[in-house]
Amino acid sequence: MEQQIDLSDFLTSYFETKHCTILSKDEGQIHIQLTEEMDKELMNRPFYWHYIKKIGREGEPQALRLITDKEKASEPGEWIHFGSPRLHQIINKLTEKERYTRLFEEVRTSENTPLYPWLVVNIKISYRGVQHRDEIFSVGLQLLHGHMALNMMDYLERIPLDRAISDYCYTLTPMINPKSGFLRIQNVLLQHVQNQDNAWAAASIKQLESEKATLKHFYADELDHPRHVEELEALEKRFKPMITFQVINGGIFYLTASTMNEK
Amino acid sequence: MDSIQIQQDNQFITGLESAFRDENNLTNWELFRMAYQAANLTKRPSFNGLQALEYLPHLDILDHQLQAAEQVIETMHGRAILADEVGLGKTIEAGLVLKEYMVRGLVKKALILVPASLVNQWEKELNEKFLIPAIAYRKNYSWDDNPIIISSIDSAKRSPHREAILDIDYDFILVDEAHKLKNEQTKNYQFVQELKKKYCLLLTATPVQNKLLELFNLVSLLKPGHLGNYKSFTEKYGKDRKKMEQDPYLKKLVQQVMVRNTRKDTSLNNSKRKIQTIWTSLPESYHKVYHQLMELSFGMASFAKITYLREFCSSREACFTSLLKLDQDGNHEAIQEVIGNIEQLEQHPKAEELTNLIKSLNGEKVIVFTEYRATQYYLQWYLQQHGISSVPFRGGFKRGKKDWMKQLFRDHAQVLIATEAGGEGINLQFCHHLINYDLPWNPMRLEQRIGRIHRFGQESDVHIYNIVTKQTIEEHILSMLYEKINLFENVIGNLDAILAELKVDSMEKEIESIYQESTSAGEVRIKLDNLKYVMEQANQEIQNEEQYRDGTAN
Repeated sequence: MEQQIDLSDFLTSYFETKHCTILSKDEGQIHIQLTEEMDKELMNRPFYWHYIKKIGREGEPQALRLITDKEKASEPGEWIHFGSPRLHQIINKLTEKERYTRLFEEVRTSENTPLYPWLVVNIKISYRGVQHRDEIFSVGLQLLHGHMALNMMDYLERIPLDRAISDYCYTLTPMINPKSGFLRIQNVLLQHVQNQDNAWAAASIKQLESEKATLKHFYADELDHPRHVEELEALEKRFKPMITFQVINGGIFYLTASTMNEK
Repeated sequence: MDSIQIQQDNQFITGLESAFRDENNLTNWELFRMAYQAANLTKRPSFNGLQALEYLPHLDILDHQLQAAEQVIETMHGRAILADEVGLGKTIEAGLVLKEYMVRGLVKKALILVPASLVNQWEKELNEKFLIPAIAYRKNYSWDDNPIIISSIDSAKRSPHREAILDIDYDFILVDEAHKLKNEQTKNYQFVQELKKKYCLLLTATPVQNKLLELFNLVSLLKPGHLGNYKSFTEKYGKDRKKMEQDPYLKKLVQQVMVRNTRKDTSLNNSKRKIQTIWTSLPESYHKVYHQLMELSFGMASFAKITYLREFCSSREACFTSLLKLDQDGNHEAIQEVIGNIEQLEQHPKAEELTNLIKSLNGEKVIVFTEYRATQYYLQWYLQQHGISSVPFRGGFKRGKKDWMKQLFRDHAQVLIATEAGGEGINLQFCHHLINYDLPWNPMRLEQRIGRIHRFGQESDVHIYNIVTKQTIEEHILSMLYEKINLFENVIGNLDAILAELKVDSMEKEIESIYQESTSAGEVRIKLDNLKYVMEQANQEIQNEEQYRDGTAN
């Protein structure tokens, strides 16, 4: 499910969705006029906005020139790439703010059409021990009959979605409430995790035990020395195998029956 | 497996339910899918390999640096001594390790302890090279609120900082110049020992493996018990410094926590350095002024006599300008007299020597290094008078200007006159001759100079010429720093060891004080000879050990 993203498209659609004007976009660079809201969000100049407000003037949001092509990194503007602070700032804003949603499939119809409620959850599972790895799942659960689908985001990419419900459409009331729906999804993922090859965890535990023994040897005569206790905690943090579930985002999607049947 | 702890995200669903109560909390499809894409971008797909590299497309990382970082993370699990020889890039290795942990979300809070003089440099490197938002500690900053702080160990260990720092759970601690932590009785040692830390890197260029007990102390900071406890360790190994090499088991243990690359094993260069010293002497008129300078003392404790002596050996102009600055009001008679005498002097003997040397190269490209801006101007003018074209180069030039100068040098001028190594990344391999018009105190600077032309990929031998005036401070510098301990021959790492051995912090300060405290030129000479002698001894000892190690170990 590795996806390659075109950075310049990604940025363009981000700023457009945030109502900024794209002043120009050509090979390797994008020039964006920020809105006031986005200036405050990204440009980190609270004093300017504070001052402008105080004297009762309209502030002037800045324009941002982003360079996406490494070859042009020396040109005026900000080189943005997968390690740059600017991209991280944008990614952090996205994951922090765009967390919940409720969307309706757009339907052009003159007949009464029912829409089925789906709980969609995008979730990251991290495996941590001597080493570290992540998996991402996009799971959907239909809240009427309990169908479950994976790769839900891929399906949703293909249909038009809107925040408002289309004319002649109506939503069906869930039989399963979202909370117990979420529990079902969690349980399925838990099952998946438990069926994984756990060699990494075994290696972590082995390492942890051997490190503990070494430490014990050092503090042989004073095992309750506070530093011994602290070091033990540090060892647990480094080596104790742990799996964390972290929801990226999620929401309720109301979809037509036909969309559902294609799954 | 029951023993794996699993942490669920239970906050999400309550968050979702309350978000439904207010439409403003809900996002649209475009942003929703972008947040999902963003999460995919930052996902760590595999257990192996460094992910950080994708985030550092602008950085040139050498093979041994990459291997070192991988080894620290994958086999040492983030606690290690990085003990590369000077100049092989310990900072790069450490930066890579930190970046990797940050990219993987395993380090959020870090403390970087470095010598006070290096705080700014570390801040710059971490920010510019690794895009790690580290900040240097300044007054009134909160230790708690800033995620990555660089500080000197001396300020960190003082109250009230000490208490604040010891209260924090750090994910990552780095100590540069860690050989200073060799004694477990010191405040520094105890401070670092008490820090709460997950990952920990100790950086040192000094081959600590020569002193078993110090080595034991360092390793015990990282991994208490790895070498046993104090009692069992001293019983088994005693305090004899050569024991480590005689004990393959101990050596192996140490290798589990220490990375040490040497120039030899990084096969840094196949081409050779050919070094030649060209002697000149000061004519009588110069000699007189030199002695006048020697006699000056001004009754000022801070008067850095050797600075003026060195400048004078470089050019009239360099010394002239700084003397003017020293006595701006012109009311110090002795200084004004020297200034007046300098004005009378003819062209500098070294400039003539330089011109002859350049002419003898039959038009081949050559870089001339000097420590002083005034000398740089003077030489440019002087060479031009003799029909030799040159371009200037300074570390302070903007990137674009540097590239432009480099291009001019490559395509048009025979000579590049540089005051500093010119920052990194400037690669002048097309040039095979380098003239040290004067020699820096700090051998690292010399190494950086030579590194401009003698680096990976250099196919030809490089020629290095030192122009030195006899019976001056230059002769002392050359013989002490560069000849007695063979600094030109790629063993720069030994200098650290020698200085540590002699308990001398900086060569420059040591010599400064010899000049300061001596009452006659004769006394200076005797003291310098003594210093030379002990350095030579220390060097010999270290060399023997290295040979011994190379011969028996492995």
